[in-house]
Amino acid sequence: MAEERYPINIWVNEERYEKLREAGLADLCEEMLAGLKVIRVYANDAQKDKILKAFPTAKFDSATTKSIELLPKDVKDKMFDLIVQKKSVEILDEFLSNY
Amino acid sequence: MAEIGHGGKEIVERIMEPSEAKEKIKGLKQVPIRSQIANEVIGISYGFFSPLEGFMGKADLDSVCKKMRLANGIVWSIPILFDMSEAELSDYGIKEGDSIVLTYQDNPFALFEVEEIYEYDKKEICQAVYGTTEDKHPGCARTYAYKDKFLGGKITLVNRPKINPPFDPYFIPPLEMRKRFKEKGWVRIVAHQTRNVPHTGHEWLMKGAWLQTYGELSIEKPIVGVLVNAIIGEKRKGDYIDEAIILCQDELRKAGYFGDHNHMTSLTFWDMRYAGPKEAVFHAILRTNLGLTHHMYGRDHAGVGTYYGPYDAHKLLESVKDELGITPVYSMNWLYCPHCGEVTSEGLCNHRDEWQKFSGTVIRSIVMDGVKPPRLIFRPEVFDLVMECAEKYGFGSPFVTDEYLEKRTPVFSVEPLE
Repeated sequence: MAEERYPINIWVNEERYEKLREAGLADLCEEMLAGLKVIRVYANDAQKDKILKAFPTAKFDSATTKSIELLPKDVKDKMFDLIVQKKSVEILDEFLSNY
Repeated sequence: MAEIGHGGKEIVERIMEPSEAKEKIKGLKQVPIRSQIANEVIGISYGFFSPLEGFMGKADLDSVCKKMRLANGIVWSIPILFDMSEAELSDYGIKEGDSIVLTYQDNPFALFEVEEIYEYDKKEICQAVYGTTEDKHPGCARTYAYKDKFLGGKITLVNRPKINPPFDPYFIPPLEMRKRFKEKGWVRIVAHQTRNVPHTGHEWLMKGAWLQTYGELSIEKPIVGVLVNAIIGEKRKGDYIDEAIILCQDELRKAGYFGDHNHMTSLTFWDMRYAGPKEAVFHAILRTNLGLTHHMYGRDHAGVGTYYGPYDAHKLLESVKDELGITPVYSMNWLYCPHCGEVTSEGLCNHRDEWQKFSGTVIRSIVMDGVKPPRLIFRPEVFDLVMECAEKYGFGSPFVTDEYLEKRTPVFSVEPLE
């Protein structure tokens, strides 16, 4: 059975979109909820547990969206910068190695 | 005419006039209480918790745990308890038969006639009420935090709390609420339980419940209303601040998504137990006392984590519905469908592969990322007000921070007894 994966939604405001566009990465964005741009980074079970432990304000929305939400903005900024640097959304291993 | 509340009992406010109160409390021992107990004192004395007249004795607690009923047989699902340690009882010299004054914010608040002092196994309470004994369940954690002795007896408010702005218009106790409903000419009123700033999923839950509640009634004039009853209690970091919750709920009416003819916002002081099905029954009792006729329940009402199934609350409500003075209205989730280009009910739309679900948590996440959600998802008037509340009440944040917890103006104050 495929391993369950849980998205972290990095919502893209104008500032983030500009950085993506400059890096030629605008295609990484998906469109959701009537026009919101989002980049989705996927965590496996172990990564999800590590994130929830490292960032106590984070919450796994088990009831509705099965996504990891409420990470502090500065944490998402760091993830976002890593995505731009790596030109990929596969950044969680490297990101979590610091925690 | 008597106002009849839960269990068929008349709602009676247990509030003493200040002149009488001053005399009555003279010379009595004074015991300070914490915010949870103060909230429950208000619940008891204004009739939100009718037919309770005070904190539970052992017979009531035992019966609530074992049968989900008070000792007199009336359905009741959550214990309402007053706790003290052995050392505190000894230091204050409190014994059964004493009357004591409960103080809050250093001022007299309520008279407590201590009829009984007893012990009860907290693990048993947890298992019975929450269906688990795990201390990570917030209701269990609250139960384990109780000190080892419980005091049962009647409560009478001796000093009305002063509800501070901007909350003051929204504190509408049961007897007053019932008057307001009559003035509006509403014959059916459906409750919307909330601890959230509303997104359009919530708005449609209310609109859907309003339609369900209207049923067969005449549509010649507006006779059905939605009452938003926000639960105001202990805050956790990252929650929306209370001011944003109450003002934004009301903003849906002010901005015209509802109107005076069908929508009203109010608050109840209560520290959520996250007891899922048992909390759902408790909410039915609260809103019966407030004079509502219907109560909307979505999936996983008042649940936490994965302790309860999404429909457990509905099943428990069905098992006692003939004894509740309120009709449950069950609501399916609302979601965004890009194919329909609208927020729709999961019970209506069949573009299942395209559905985009959203929750209060997701919207908070979007706002935290500094993004303004589209109007179909989050009303622009509500977004603007959230940001205004952040500046005005939240020390720059719409979410609870340490600074907010430390410096906020309390929702209510207890002033010296004049």
